[in-house]
Amino acid sequence: MILENLRSALEALAGNRLRSVLTLLGVMIGVFAVTTTISLGAIATAGITGQLQAFGNQALFITPNEDNPGSTPFSDADIEALSRLPVSVLRQRSVRGVARAGSEESPLSVNGVTANAPQVDRTLKMARGRYFTEAEDRRAAPVMVLSADAREALFPDDPNPVGREVSVTVGSSRTFYTVIGVKEPLTGAFSFAATAAADIPLQTLYLTYPSVTRGEYPFLPVTVSLERDLGDIEAQVSAILTRRRGADTFRIQTIEGALTLFKTITTILQAVLGGIGAVSLLVGGIGILNIMLVSVTERTREIGLRKALGARKGVILQQFLIEAVVLTLVGGLAGLLAAVGVLYLAVALVPFLDEVVLSPFTVLLGLFVSVATGVVFGVWPASRAANLSPIEALRYE
Amino acid sequence: MRPSSGGAPSAARAPVIDARDLRKVYAMEGGLEVHALRGLDLQVGHGEYLAIMGPSGSGKSTLLQILGCLDSPTGGSYRLAGQEVASMDEDALAEVRNRRIGFVFQAFNLLPRSSALRNVALPLMYRGVRAGERSERAAAALARVGLGDRLEHRPNELSGGQRQRVAIARALVTEPDILLADEPTGNLDSRTGKEILELFDALHREGRTVLTVTHEAEVAGRTERIVHIRDGRVESSERTRPAAVEAATGAPPGGLP
Repeated sequence: MILENLRSALEALAGNRLRSVLTLLGVMIGVFAVTTTISLGAIATAGITGQLQAFGNQALFITPNEDNPGSTPFSDADIEALSRLPVSVLRQRSVRGVARAGSEESPLSVNGVTANAPQVDRTLKMARGRYFTEAEDRRAAPVMVLSADAREALFPDDPNPVGREVSVTVGSSRTFYTVIGVKEPLTGAFSFAATAAADIPLQTLYLTYPSVTRGEYPFLPVTVSLERDLGDIEAQVSAILTRRRGADTFRIQTIEGALTLFKTITTILQAVLGGIGAVSLLVGGIGILNIMLVSVTERTREIGLRKALGARKGVILQQFLIEAVVLTLVGGLAGLLAAVGVLYLAVALVPFLDEVVLSPFTVLLGLFVSVATGVVFGVWPASRAANLSPIEALRYE
Repeated sequence: MRPSSGGAPSAARAPVIDARDLRKVYAMEGGLEVHALRGLDLQVGHGEYLAIMGPSGSGKSTLLQILGCLDSPTGGSYRLAGQEVASMDEDALAEVRNRRIGFVFQAFNLLPRSSALRNVALPLMYRGVRAGERSERAAAALARVGLGDRLEHRPNELSGGQRQRVAIARALVTEPDILLADEPTGNLDSRTGKEILELFDALHREGRTVLTVTHEAEVAGRTERIVHIRDGRVESSERTRPAAVEAATGAPPGGLP
């Protein structure tokens, strides 16, 4: 009987194909929005969390408190004091200039850093050549490690420009450097930070650009060894800096903080898109309601006939309910398919999304919501059909 | 001896239809009451072939609806095959319609998207017969009305006469106690209508009980008895073919194939 009802439901829907498709569009959009929202949130969170944790979970980023006019850049003595903790601190100063190599020219951010940079910055990976050594730093060697973007800008035809020369003009001074290495491109969540940049030894920077004051650091990247508790270290860093510089003269940012912010944004986005989904489902449901009422009216004679042939109330109710649910279920499946398509597209196009996360829960929720829409908005028309008196229905023109 | 209108039921067997003092009052808006049936008596015996005639507004449609259990009387008693149906609830009426009554409508009332076979099998589905048996029995019923080669045709692929045959097969497939026909030839040309009437004649000769509502004298003329209705009561009951009645009642209908 259920099979037979399912069959007549499919026939009835197929008989009004255009109307059926238009009706299920609303449900399709609703399920699509709900599914995409939930999954995209999960995918983004998984992607970003994974990458941040892989690289920078055990990291602090210390800046002066910009709201406090009395807070000064950090000093070598600050760094010495922090170095008693199980952390690595990177000394880094930057200048901006214009780089030339052969006929190519590009704006370049030149970072003077200490030779421990590859240990402090876990995102730093070498593609070609090597990083500079402490010895090269001490003797202020004119060597340079290019970022992947800088290599692309300056040596577009040479994937391995190790040994070649780059000139950098800062203000009126022009300096030549020998390329000794090229970094891997930044991936995933960090790729937004990709710029044409080059690392040179800190001492080389001081020597070449005397305008840069020695021993003043506008920010301190700190890496905590992985087996230590980040919260503990953060507290100790804060204690040391407060004792040395005074309260409210600095800020400590952690990846955790960034993650929290990110999750807040994701949640808001999910709420907004989820709301759109809910509204579409409501509108889609009303569409179903409308079409089912039309269908009941159109088929009044059919209902009367079925009753005359011995169909009970319950059977008619079931028939129209199945019709509504088939309509919404097909809409729901179409919505799910569209959502899966969009998710794969998003993962393919957006760099920091790793892989499609489509939990069975989300799929079941989508299907459940579509079935529920069918039941909720189908019950009324179906019971109207079931309660028609057979004579009235048969007489209907 | 056959029961006549208002008379006592046959001594040998209870009549298929035994309606006594049937009343139907429709309450209209504004407190107005319309008396469609005003104490109507009708008995129909097994195997009888009967026509009900009457002017419009006479109550013959209401009578057919009550006899077909599509509606309940507001007063009186209606026993169908010995079972009192006047006070049944909706689901019980659905069951009686399914098991005891075969309806043939003027407008055929076939499901347009379903094949002849599925149309005929429909009442069996509502009875809970398995799909395989449904198809077998529906095919047999279609073969009986001469459409054994049209099982998979849809109504729009059939002529009017063929559609009415499908409707008759659908009425027959449940082996009902009585076939009720409401102007069965009203939508057919006279030649096709004649074919349908010949089919009813044949069904009657097989021993089936056939009751048809009509306003055509030609249709009524083929039956054994014509009951005239006026103002919600039986006006007259005339036997048209006494010989045929005797022949039909000579053999008990249950014994025929």
